[in-house]
Amino acid sequence: MDFGLVELSAEDRALQSEIRAFLAEIFTPDVFQHEHETGSGFNPKVYEALGARGWLYPELPVEQGGAGFTPVQKRIMELELIRQDARVMMMQGTSSLPMAAVRKYMDPAVADPILKECAAGRAVMCLGYSEPDGGSDIANAKVRAVQDGDMWTINGSKMWTTGAHISTYTFLITRTDPEAPKHKGITMILVPLKSEGVTIQAIRTFSGERTNIVYYEDVQVHDSMRVGGVNNGWTVLHGPLDEEHSIGLDMNGGLTDVSVGTGMCRVLGASMNEVASWAHKATGSKGQLLADDIRVRESLGAAMVDYEAGISTPGPMGRVKASDVLVKNAAALQDLVGTVGLLPMNTEGSIGNGDIEYAHRFAQGTATYGGTVEVFRTIIAQHVLGLPKAQLPGAKVFLAGKKK
Amino acid sequence: MDLVELRRNDYTLEEVSQEVLVAFGDFFSDQCPTSLVRASQPLGFDQGLWDRLVEMGTTTMGLPESAGGDGAGMVELALVAEEFGRAIAPAPYIEHIVTSRALAAADNPALVEILAGAADGSRIVALASAPITPGAKQLVPAGAIAKDVLAFVGEDLVLFSVDTPFPHVANQGSTPLAWWDFDSVSQRTVIATGDEALRIYTRAHDERMVLTAAALVGMTEYALGLTVEFTKTRETMGVLIATLQGVAFPLTDIATNIAGARNIARKAAWYLDFSPDERPELPAIALVYASQTATHGTQQAAHLQGGLGFTVENDISMYFLRAKGWGSIAGDPNALLATIGDQVLASVK
Repeated sequence: MDFGLVELSAEDRALQSEIRAFLAEIFTPDVFQHEHETGSGFNPKVYEALGARGWLYPELPVEQGGAGFTPVQKRIMELELIRQDARVMMMQGTSSLPMAAVRKYMDPAVADPILKECAAGRAVMCLGYSEPDGGSDIANAKVRAVQDGDMWTINGSKMWTTGAHISTYTFLITRTDPEAPKHKGITMILVPLKSEGVTIQAIRTFSGERTNIVYYEDVQVHDSMRVGGVNNGWTVLHGPLDEEHSIGLDMNGGLTDVSVGTGMCRVLGASMNEVASWAHKATGSKGQLLADDIRVRESLGAAMVDYEAGISTPGPMGRVKASDVLVKNAAALQDLVGTVGLLPMNTEGSIGNGDIEYAHRFAQGTATYGGTVEVFRTIIAQHVLGLPKAQLPGAKVFLAGKKK
Repeated sequence: MDLVELRRNDYTLEEVSQEVLVAFGDFFSDQCPTSLVRASQPLGFDQGLWDRLVEMGTTTMGLPESAGGDGAGMVELALVAEEFGRAIAPAPYIEHIVTSRALAAADNPALVEILAGAADGSRIVALASAPITPGAKQLVPAGAIAKDVLAFVGEDLVLFSVDTPFPHVANQGSTPLAWWDFDSVSQRTVIATGDEALRIYTRAHDERMVLTAAALVGMTEYALGLTVEFTKTRETMGVLIATLQGVAFPLTDIATNIAGARNIARKAAWYLDFSPDERPELPAIALVYASQTATHGTQQAAHLQGGLGFTVENDISMYFLRAKGWGSIAGDPNALLATIGDQVLASVK
């Protein structure tokens, strides 16, 4: 066990200062404004500036476009980016999931140039998993890929493909054998989104984040873009999925968050800080400073207990807990500050430039994306508690002949 | 608070800690079956079990070497508490350990004899929950079996000693609670005053909160296990109830809360051992969250066994009753919230 401050070598301390100064330079007010307007979780200038130094995926070796950072150095970078704005870096996190599979399963002659573009910040990848009628049951994918010689023809549509509009590639789940049980008939293909027949349509969410529906109409993709074996897609998917689900994380001696929930909790933590700062200045109806008000003290205490639970619960359980506590406390903090809690960014009197208002909208999405909390409770039921699987009618269906 | 502090977040147990966990897990499952817990009701104390705990070194492990102990830290003591809670053992482990450590910390020559008695388990010592106010009796945890109770009076930390403990009072958790009439106790030893007294008292309270939190984690986990097994064998309308989301999902929430509460309790213990001046709110957070976890978890675990979970005959009843019965002894969760909030407020000043 160790919860101590990480003692940095002189070299790492210098690196930390260098990173901090560099990020302060590239995260200009324009960057925040751009993110606020687009909700894309991506900024080409920031990504390319980081990529030019090998700092976008700095844990990668230099020859792969990284900077060969040690786990401590990587953690320094992560935290410094969060200090700036985690929202802009969303597509970095998303891309890193398929990048690992591409590196592992594709022919290096094809994969290397693609991965180099990603590392340089000139390309990002999105996840073509969910479908309009599928949601979190991603093994049920119906987007069809049919092979003819060296080419695949892809038809169908994907939903919730966040980042599709700014990504160069999508890591697509395709149905390649409709006769096989659903987990055994899928193949992963890295589809260039510039391909003819791809249409991307925006879906706006009330957190401000943009996601997309993507239509594939007779899209032609070369077989060299297949990731892993034909009909072996479920195996290929497992690495990226487990990482997204916080399963089997390498904790790196405590230099990693215990679950993806920690990122969600930081939004709650930021709100708590803003409410606390507000309470040091605001006064109640009898003129009393709100920082001395028992209701404010207890509410912040309750939020703190939940925050600590959110960042301390490991693995898939942490993902559920973090979303639950964020949803609950974002609303509670809004109530605590009153009507000003409703004011968004860039409005007169908003708290923390809209942080409180934003948190309540943002929270709702965390219960769904990356797999709903219900999907995760199912994972916990089976993998943590060892409960038997439900025999659901759709669990083992063959997709052939199934008309929808 | 600093959301990007460069700290380790490593919950991996050292090998020696693992051994403590296993050794005490084995001890309690061998020596403390639920039949023994039942037989010890309503007092909640079994002399034979206490003697074996003493033989196991439980009363000395947490004392400093200067007081004849093994110098174990809070992390190890919290691991023992987790196993102690899992067994809902009828023994004053938490009260006795934190009070003995407070007495040892006072390093007062007048205490040598009492400390020796505490170390060999022959003299059970306890800690009052609130400062003494003249004219008011106080419910003292383990007060029905302890002859020496440490309490704060004015600016002094005072050990009140009696020849016969005050009589047991029935309580929901079947613990050896007693009303102590401190006014009537003439044998008093001032063990520390002023800042030192406050420091020792605060530390003892923090330790009690952390050890209670750990015990509540073990308690809730055992209750969850009982119900998980039940749902894997019980059928309704042709399916095992464990396959129903209305049953499975509440169980996953209990497991989730336990995992978080355990990590927080261990982290709080680590801070007391290695960085006691930082995160002063962690013991309270650990207790509040573990108490919520235990109250909710044992209630749900009992409920998910339906009417059977509501019967005295079912072991889960003992867990349900102790979740509150143990949790509220170490502190009022709601009163602690304001002090936790104060730390959040202070962190942005």
